[in-house]
Amino acid sequence: MPLVNYATREITCKIVYYGPGRSGKTTNLHYIYGQVPNDRKGTMVSLATQTDRTLFFDFLPLDLGSISGFNTRFQLYTVPGQVYYQSTRKLVLQGADGVVFVADSQARQLDENIESMQDLHANLAEHGMDVRAMPLVLQYNKQDLPRDLIHNTATLDDALNFRGVPAFAAGALHGTGVFETLRGISELVLRRLSTSGSPATPSTAHAGSR
Amino acid sequence: MRARAAEAWVEAPLQRFVDDARVQFALLLHPSGQVLGQFGFTRAVDVMAACALGAAIHASAGELGKELDGHPFRELYHAGRDRQVFIAEAATARGALVLLTAFDAESSLGLVQVYFRELRDALQHAAPPPVESGPALDGNFEQDLNRSLATLFGRAQLPAPGDAGSHSPSA
Repeated sequence: MPLVNYATREITCKIVYYGPGRSGKTTNLHYIYGQVPNDRKGTMVSLATQTDRTLFFDFLPLDLGSISGFNTRFQLYTVPGQVYYQSTRKLVLQGADGVVFVADSQARQLDENIESMQDLHANLAEHGMDVRAMPLVLQYNKQDLPRDLIHNTATLDDALNFRGVPAFAAGALHGTGVFETLRGISELVLRRLSTSGSPATPSTAHAGSR
Repeated sequence: MRARAAEAWVEAPLQRFVDDARVQFALLLHPSGQVLGQFGFTRAVDVMAACALGAAIHASAGELGKELDGHPFRELYHAGRDRQVFIAEAATARGALVLLTAFDAESSLGLVQVYFRELRDALQHAAPPPVESGPALDGNFEQDLNRSLATLFGRAQLPAPGDAGSHSPSA
């Protein structure tokens, strides 16, 4: 669950961008980073290889400001998509409050998308998280590529979206759908805090600094 | 400068550790990377970045320990040119917590390790059992969320999901 400080009215949420290699997870974070004013974001941390492939994770802290009287902060993470970084993905997923699954819309990547979705479910289960309860949205990235190279959103829904969660068409390289995706997962994550409790102590002080 | 904590029971033990061990920075965090208390940082977003990296180092060291030794490594030490970093885990009634601390020549690894043991014991005694609280947000948070994201990204009010960008699953 998100970390809630009732005394200072602060909420911190961890959101993980998941998906196969080269689907555009890091591109989502880069675009968000480029749009947000400096006083509302921290340094974007990228643990990457020399060829800019994500080695461990990318991390971007965002300050959303006040939501229902709570100062709300999001921690955005990506996981490395390549199959052989399985153990790293599992570590990054630990404690996630919400997941954005970034699928690659290219037709030739369909099997990788399905495999990555199965990997997500397996890792959530290993952490003891209820897959059906985890806030999740899908992003069908690269929808701006030529039609003959990609699957449409209906086909991708059939293959990946068996939970019927919100799904967003996107072209993350140019920012299309990036904010809508972030808004979608933000709403799902925060909605849990409007309908259920959160582990916290009633008497708290202030951890962060501004 | 005083230690600051997200949960009050953490504040006094952390402050005592900082004073006794004479460290420059200290972070107490959940293994998932969520901060519980901090000393030495001036911006919340910098705290979050340090927590993310600290949690990652701790998690990967733990996994490496399992591979090499059959058990997770619970403590880790890095010697930098001017500063040194010590990362260690403390078990509490609220679950495992991770301490990440940086110090210079004013302190030493031995000193930090001694006072970490005291911090660990103090946290074990101070940790209250988890409390399940009621809903934090009211049901109308969407308007604030829309306004916040619109401000954050320099846009006019964003449309609600379903109005644009998202679609209903076809299945």
